[in-house]
Amino acid sequence: MTAIAPTLDARHAARRTGAPWGAVLAGGFLAALLLASLFPWIFAPTDPLSILPEDAFQAPGLTHWFGTDQSGRDIFARVVHGSRQSLSIGLLAVGLAVAVAAPLGVVSGLAGGWVDRGIGWVIEILLAFPGIILALLFVAIFGGGIGPLIVATGLGVAPGYARMIRGQVLAVRNSGYIEAARALGHRPWRIVRRQLLPNAARPLVVVITLGVGQAIVWASALSFLGLGAKPPAPEWGTMMAAGRDFIANAWWLTFFPGLFILLTTLSTTVLGRYLQQRLEGHR
Amino acid sequence: MSGPPAPGRRETHAEWLALLRLGGIRLAGGAFVLWAVATLTFIAMRQMPGDPALAILGGISPTPQAIAEVTREYGLDQPLFVQYGRYLSDLLQGHLGISYAQRLPVSQIIAEQSGATLQLVAASLFTTWVLVLLWTLTTTGRGRWIAGIGATVETIAAAVPPFWLAIVLLATFAFGLRLFPAAGSDGVRTLVLPALALGLPLAGFVGQVTREALVVTLEQPFILSARMRGASDWSVRWRHALRHSLLPGVSLSGWAIGALIGGTVVIEVIFSRKGLGRQLYQAVQSQDAPLVIGITLVIATSYVIANILVDLLYHIIDPRLRKDDQ
Amino acid sequence: MTRRSGPAAGALAATSLLLALSGCGAGSDSASGGRTAASGTPVSGGTLVYATDREPTCLDPHSQGDMPQVYIAQQFLDSLVSMDEKGNIGPWLAQRWEVSRDGLTYTFHLRRDVRFTDGVRFDAAAVKANLDHMVDPKTQSSTAGSYLAQYLRTDVIDSHTAKVHLATPYAAFLEVLAQGFLGMESPRALARSRDENCQSPVGSGPFRVVRWDRQSQVVLERNPDYAWAPPTARHTGPAYLDRVVWKFIPDPSVRFASLQAGDVDVIDALPPESHGPARQNPDITLLMKDRPGNPTKGDFNVTRAPFDDVRVREAFVRAANVAGALKSVLFGEYTRAGGPLSHVTPFYNAQFEHAQDYDPQRAARLLDEAGWTGRDSEGYRTRNARRLTVKVPMSDQLSNAERTLWEQVQASEKKVGIAVDLDPMGASGILECCSTAWDYDIRIGYWNTNTPDVLRFVFGSEFIDRPGTSYHTNGTGFRDARFDRVIHQALETQDPEARRALYLDAQRIVSQEYLQLTTIPQSTRLAIYKTTHGVRIEPSLSITYLYDAWVRK
Repeated sequence: MTAIAPTLDARHAARRTGAPWGAVLAGGFLAALLLASLFPWIFAPTDPLSILPEDAFQAPGLTHWFGTDQSGRDIFARVVHGSRQSLSIGLLAVGLAVAVAAPLGVVSGLAGGWVDRGIGWVIEILLAFPGIILALLFVAIFGGGIGPLIVATGLGVAPGYARMIRGQVLAVRNSGYIEAARALGHRPWRIVRRQLLPNAARPLVVVITLGVGQAIVWASALSFLGLGAKPPAPEWGTMMAAGRDFIANAWWLTFFPGLFILLTTLSTTVLGRYLQQRLEGHR
Repeated sequence: MSGPPAPGRRETHAEWLALLRLGGIRLAGGAFVLWAVATLTFIAMRQMPGDPALAILGGISPTPQAIAEVTREYGLDQPLFVQYGRYLSDLLQGHLGISYAQRLPVSQIIAEQSGATLQLVAASLFTTWVLVLLWTLTTTGRGRWIAGIGATVETIAAAVPPFWLAIVLLATFAFGLRLFPAAGSDGVRTLVLPALALGLPLAGFVGQVTREALVVTLEQPFILSARMRGASDWSVRWRHALRHSLLPGVSLSGWAIGALIGGTVVIEVIFSRKGLGRQLYQAVQSQDAPLVIGITLVIATSYVIANILVDLLYHIIDPRLRKDDQ
Repeated sequence: MTRRSGPAAGALAATSLLLALSGCGAGSDSASGGRTAASGTPVSGGTLVYATDREPTCLDPHSQGDMPQVYIAQQFLDSLVSMDEKGNIGPWLAQRWEVSRDGLTYTFHLRRDVRFTDGVRFDAAAVKANLDHMVDPKTQSSTAGSYLAQYLRTDVIDSHTAKVHLATPYAAFLEVLAQGFLGMESPRALARSRDENCQSPVGSGPFRVVRWDRQSQVVLERNPDYAWAPPTARHTGPAYLDRVVWKFIPDPSVRFASLQAGDVDVIDALPPESHGPARQNPDITLLMKDRPGNPTKGDFNVTRAPFDDVRVREAFVRAANVAGALKSVLFGEYTRAGGPLSHVTPFYNAQFEHAQDYDPQRAARLLDEAGWTGRDSEGYRTRNARRLTVKVPMSDQLSNAERTLWEQVQASEKKVGIAVDLDPMGASGILECCSTAWDYDIRIGYWNTNTPDVLRFVFGSEFIDRPGTSYHTNGTGFRDARFDRVIHQALETQDPEARRALYLDAQRIVSQEYLQLTTIPQSTRLAIYKTTHGVRIEPSLSITYLYDAWVRK
């Protein structure tokens, strides 16, 4: 459940699973999801909040592709509209994580010395909490809801990112590159801007792609526990939580939101690896 | 046998000393991290909503005298650094405070609950490695199709949200087929589904890493020579290739234990198991500050210690690293 | 404990609780007596595994007083008096009693053969110790203590005669004494600290508490010396079961699956969605009974706009489509509660059942009359450019069914132009908005008790702002001199017909004022595996009673 793990090995796995059709499918799914989050009504004209008790618990069929829930709301519409919540939670959480992690990692990697060691300890300390525990602690202090959820998820993954970015910066710094640039008489800031950052940022694209999927899983796990998005919001984890009581009667309430979480993570993983492979190729 | 030297034979006194020294350094670092963690949680506790005095009193709205009494008794009127010192010295003596909701010492609650969680984490880790060994070892290097399917399954497994898997397993094997109990925390049978729900996604991650190492190893000359000496395929895989392919997976174990501990929260809730995870969840819900802090602290501590142990284990398994180190 | 998880009392606790928001024409599935008779001769021995939804935070029902406490306490505590199916009070630990003419003193003559399971003899001093314990502020009793507000003191006349003095006449006294919340505990055990007594209370009942394994189960063992069963029991002597394992399985679908697999023998809080499958399963029988008291409801805060206007209150009630929820998320398994008393409460009157029927036209007319004639861009009604909004804090502990019900009410209110703001919050949020404060328009809850005197707790002005409590049980803020007079007169007479007339009056006033949206009665819903027989629901609070139960495995 941490965004670091997949990156450790992704480089190699990509070599074999890199069949482009996988990346195409994944990219297509993510593009559709992005479209759905911006213009949900293209896919699902039905109101995801419209309650019709008479229609409750309809099995998946032609009128309701994914069936209806306990209040007769259309689950397909809710899943489609929910993509906005889930996707933006994922993106914002990862964005926040990068915003926190990048300065730490870059400064730490560049400055070296006691600054590096100090930041290293901070990262070490934050890493002492398994991510979801850190998130739970955060929720305990600041309460549930979307905002805290995003911050909790972002902070949960940030230390791992920081460590990774620091590693990248160090790798670039120690490579011949910078030496060469310095030998050419370029100013330090220019070197940082033109050489170091782009080189360190490339893997970041991959991490972000992979991270969004993981952040969505995390956030939906917290929502599933009732600590994130509140009902009746069509957030995937919340929908699963609400449907959990009815698994024996109406499996579709839980199954479809879960399936979309799975597909999203899978797509971000596959796409992330593909990107990694491509970007590695450039080096 | 050719290839890298077999570990565990030629340690010299000096090597053990180096290992000991490394262990000492790691432990000192761990202690520092734990002190910082304790400080962070102290700050967190002060930030938790609600008046501690009122929370300690609980129940009916208390008289001002009662509040004053509790405030004095618990030292809530002391300056912050005095309270902090008191908190640290309590921690060192193993006092984690009294749970607001249960009125029991937090340390007692944790003692009662941690066994079940430990079992679950161990069972999940075991499941993970069984799956990895069976699946990865069988499918790696078996031609494009089988290897491709093997890798794809690992990718999908790694993407499965554990809580969704848990519900699917519950609905299928407990509600539907009734092969396993749907709830409970006693006996091996109650462990199967939760351990699978946590272990399968993890096996996806570990499997990917192991597969990669295995592919590299299987191309090594010493494997080729073993084959040429007429060793069977299974023997080559199990006796020769495997040991050299485990390192990356083992190195993930520290991270994996963290992921598993985090995962127990949702899994224990879904399977109505007792354990630290569910207790933490309930404590968060009822805003039981001492219990939240206590459990967080214990989890962080065991996580830090587990990481140190994995680190040392890693150095023991791979003597090359020991030489490079420091 | 848990001042946080809901100010205990049977009330706000409301919010949290009982998943099975339950209701329904109780007992519809099986008459408890008949089932027992049909299943053969009881056998002694064996273990019964019982699975319930919520784990209590304290096993002593005197302290706090939330429903999960009395459920388990009923198995190991006896009460001073018993109550039968018709609501009549009978002997139990007290063989007989006299009430003084002025209704201020009750003299109890106690059984002489009773011992608590710690060996302490039950006597007049024990009665005194128990009543004193319930009203002691240190006990932090929200339920038992509040039922004894009139209690002054107990005089020990001789070893087995106790004289209880009350400050004002209290005709409901014997009724509340029959509840498990006011069960008798060993005075030696009560003398320990509150926390110790919470952990292992000691009674004189058919079982005793052996061990409490948190987050998992409580183990109860048979009391071999038990020889003082209440007259309502089906047998005498010790219980049939050797042992009861009282398990906590919060997830309703998991609880039901455990029953289907035979891993547990009895479950309570059977969720609505499992009724159908349970009926189709030949291995399972259902045993259900509604609970007396104020049904599941939302209290309207009349102390501020918009519910300070009775027309708006009625409009809200008339626009609430509860029937939709009954059909959908409640699977047609529950009946509507339309009046302030559940139909199993003594002196309940059926004439108020339809006072809350769905009538959106009338709702619209009432809102027009009340001046809420404007409409804003989203179609909500306005008055003086202010939107007609109703704030409803919802505990995140609320059952899925109850939350869905309120979401459906929200949708039907929107049709007449009322904006319902469902505001989910945690325990401390609920505590802040609704326990002593009045920062809500609707407070969701219920109150289970076996006397119509519940109306006083829920609507009496004395419970709006009672010093020393953490929870105003009157959640409406209704302050009405005529109602107060009627409800107190009803406590001053022991004559059933006079009480009936007064309580009819009280129900009428409350109903006409539209102070609550009542939804469904609270109920106890048990599903029982084929191995188990003789499980009963006792009459005082409709609580599971395992004394007569036996297993054949």
